[in-house]
Amino acid sequence: MATTAQPSPASAPAHEGETRRDFIQIAATALVGVGATIAAWPFIDSMNPARDTLAAGAPVDIDVSKIQPGQQIVVLWRSRPIFIMNRTPDELKRLQEAQDTSLLSDPDSKALQQPEYAKNWHRSIKPEYLVLVGICTHLGCIPIAKPDPGSVEPNWPGGYFCPCHGSKYDLAGRVFAGVPAPLNLPVPPHNFVSDKVIRVGENPPGSTFDLASVEQL
Amino acid sequence: MMRTSAVALAGAVAFLALATIAVAQDEGTPPLPKQKWSFAGPFGTYDRAALQRGFGVYQNVCENCHELGLIHFGDLGADGPGGGIGYNEEQVKAIAAASAKQYPDTDDSGQPIQRPGRPTDTPLPLNYDNVKQAKALFGTAPPDLSLIVKAREGGADYVYAFLSGFSEDKNKDRSGAPYYNEYFPGHNVAMPPPPLAGNDVPGVKATADEERRDVVTFLSWASEPTMEDRKRTGIKVLIFLIATTGVLYFAKRQIWASLH
Amino acid sequence: MVRWIDHRLPIFTFMKHELNDYPTPRNLSYWWNFGSLAGIMLVIMIVTGIFLAMEYTPQVNDAFDSVERIRRDVNYGWLIQYLHMNGASFFFIVTYIHIFRGLYYGSYKEPRELLWMLGLVILLLMMATAFMGYVLPWGQMSFWGATVITNLFSAIPVVGQKIVTWLWGGFAVDNPTLNRFYALHYLLPFVIVGVVMLHLIALHQHGSNNPLGIDRKTPQDSIPFHPYYTIKDMFGLFAFLIVYAIFVFFMPDALGDPQNYIQANPLQTPPEIVPEWYFLPFYAILRSVPNILFIPSKLAGVLCLFGAIGILFFLPWLDTSRVRSARFRPIYKWVFWLLVIDVAVLGDCGAHRPEGWYIFAGRMATLYYFVHFLILMPLIGWFERPRPLPTSIATTVMKRSSGSLAAASPVGKS
Repeated sequence: MATTAQPSPASAPAHEGETRRDFIQIAATALVGVGATIAAWPFIDSMNPARDTLAAGAPVDIDVSKIQPGQQIVVLWRSRPIFIMNRTPDELKRLQEAQDTSLLSDPDSKALQQPEYAKNWHRSIKPEYLVLVGICTHLGCIPIAKPDPGSVEPNWPGGYFCPCHGSKYDLAGRVFAGVPAPLNLPVPPHNFVSDKVIRVGENPPGSTFDLASVEQL
Repeated sequence: MMRTSAVALAGAVAFLALATIAVAQDEGTPPLPKQKWSFAGPFGTYDRAALQRGFGVYQNVCENCHELGLIHFGDLGADGPGGGIGYNEEQVKAIAAASAKQYPDTDDSGQPIQRPGRPTDTPLPLNYDNVKQAKALFGTAPPDLSLIVKAREGGADYVYAFLSGFSEDKNKDRSGAPYYNEYFPGHNVAMPPPPLAGNDVPGVKATADEERRDVVTFLSWASEPTMEDRKRTGIKVLIFLIATTGVLYFAKRQIWASLH
Repeated sequence: MVRWIDHRLPIFTFMKHELNDYPTPRNLSYWWNFGSLAGIMLVIMIVTGIFLAMEYTPQVNDAFDSVERIRRDVNYGWLIQYLHMNGASFFFIVTYIHIFRGLYYGSYKEPRELLWMLGLVILLLMMATAFMGYVLPWGQMSFWGATVITNLFSAIPVVGQKIVTWLWGGFAVDNPTLNRFYALHYLLPFVIVGVVMLHLIALHQHGSNNPLGIDRKTPQDSIPFHPYYTIKDMFGLFAFLIVYAIFVFFMPDALGDPQNYIQANPLQTPPEIVPEWYFLPFYAILRSVPNILFIPSKLAGVLCLFGAIGILFFLPWLDTSRVRSARFRPIYKWVFWLLVIDVAVLGDCGAHRPEGWYIFAGRMATLYYFVHFLILMPLIGWFERPRPLPTSIATTVMKRSSGSLAAASPVGKS
């Protein structure tokens, strides 16, 4: 620092001058730093889903009256395949048999792969209508519906078979033990807005289930 | 040195000012009367009631011939850009479904059908199905109004002046296009005077002038729905920048004080 | 930790030497802030540009709508778009001021000739980038501006039209053109970054010029870059950001053309085709030149347009004065301001249709521009009697701070 013309004043005022100097410089650094951090947010947020993307992910209404018992339709919601299967009473009976449940990894749906209103033996709201996200929890292929017993292998109780690496699920989307897939097929939020219309993407009143909260899609 | 810097700055500003008025008034149109808009100025906001009335006027008058391709029905609701114009989800669905024109679509077996509007649709012009039809009907295609306020020199003032610039007297000797408009460059426009006579929106009592103001307000919103976000953020940013500049100025003085 | 890295890649030593201790003349005025401002604008343009590129579609049917989607639907898209749009204008504002600073203080003179020329290369790259970027929103001005400027190349004899077709990738400005402009618009800013680094290396060879135009001689002439110029640059940056923010948030369309909010229509030419303001002086030069001898006016205009920038490359040799700073050059000082006024006049001519008085003004201003560099600069250098130069930077600064208003004492020859 260059020397000044006058002699240095006593130490107390000099110290005061220093604290004032430090304060301004700290304030300056802090303001600039805060500004830079706040300025980053719009850019980061611009990468979040845009308004029109969110609007396109709005719930879809599906009329299930045309699905015959034993049949399944596939619809697209948020760019994912959604299986809606109309299960026959026979299939529902088989679902509860111990023979079937002993082969499963997670028969009681302990892992968070479904909303609380689908945490039951039929993994749905109404037993006849099963709604699943049709993406194998192994590596993401779309499993094929094979509801007929014996159609995949002897002792096949009926369910889903994934052609990519051989994962198997039962007619409630629960995964078999000993296959590559680790978890049951996820159940999306869905609600019966009328007797024959399922709204996929919306929870029944009182539930706040978010599909993003499942362990793995 | 300071004086020359000041001169330089003044010169630069003058140059910029000249450049921004690049294309000034031309072809004998009178100067635009300045209007008062609720959304003008750094603190301007859109009047939601005016926006809704303006949308009503738009639907009943302008929609006959014009498209609004960048505004979906859903944009009018709370999820819309800038928070929409104050309708809720139910109202939006009702407005979409009540749209006078049906929308071409295909049913599940691939057959072409016509269906009522949805929030993701945009208002369709009533008098024609495509641009070629429009050209055949009107001579030129009516422009899409989504950005009309930004796309015209003079902005909202111009659109308002244009709408009030039609003259019945000067049109008496003509039958059909072109029509006389005081503020349109060249004075001859293919658009007939819109029937803004007041009471164009069912249930809303308004004069012709009020309808013009409302529809211009709505069209300004359509050109820039996020304007309120922009100005609000701008005030906060400017306060922060001015404060920080002040602090930095004192920091600079302080650091430099240690030199002679 | 720092030493471990530095021993293997001396980045910290490098930064300390070039940014921290780097000796800078102690008398730099605020006109020296504009170089760093230009650097910051480059960063802002690249960052906003990359985030826009994530949402933009370079296809003729979708481009205009994709930009409007950014403005309406993308979170903060309106902000990123307005920052980028106005950022281009502000990038040119600071660059032009930076260039005129160089002209006034003789920063292009020995030993900084290459520094000056690298700067001109940056300017040319900026102009190419801005031109192509303006086409991307695919508005009326985007399309017709691209059509007019690419058509210029047809003025080249023999191969002109082939070159134009090659540039277009088709029979007119259309989808292939838009796609390649997008690719190049994304690329060139990074080329600019490279040339800026060369520009800074050249600068650090001999250090900055200063308002007195005399070299640094003694250690008292310099001060370390940090903290003196870091804080001054910070202050200048934020003062500049205030102006930038006023435009971005309160008059974002003031510097643009309303016609560009209309989607491009190849069948309808707008009543006026006007480039953005930063191209107006060059546009005026282009349109002003009449037929000269056997050269048709279109070709002559193109040659003068490129000549206007090309001539600047030779400035270190066209200016024959041995004195750098216009502070000590009484005649050149006035001539410099005449040039500034001339460029402003050219800009105004570029904004208007070449009719009536504007034709004459444009031609006179274009002529004066070339006369300034080709005739006036060499002559003034030879015949001017410069004011006596001060002894050193330090003595001038000391004199100023001690309150003396006397002129610098003449000490022998400069």
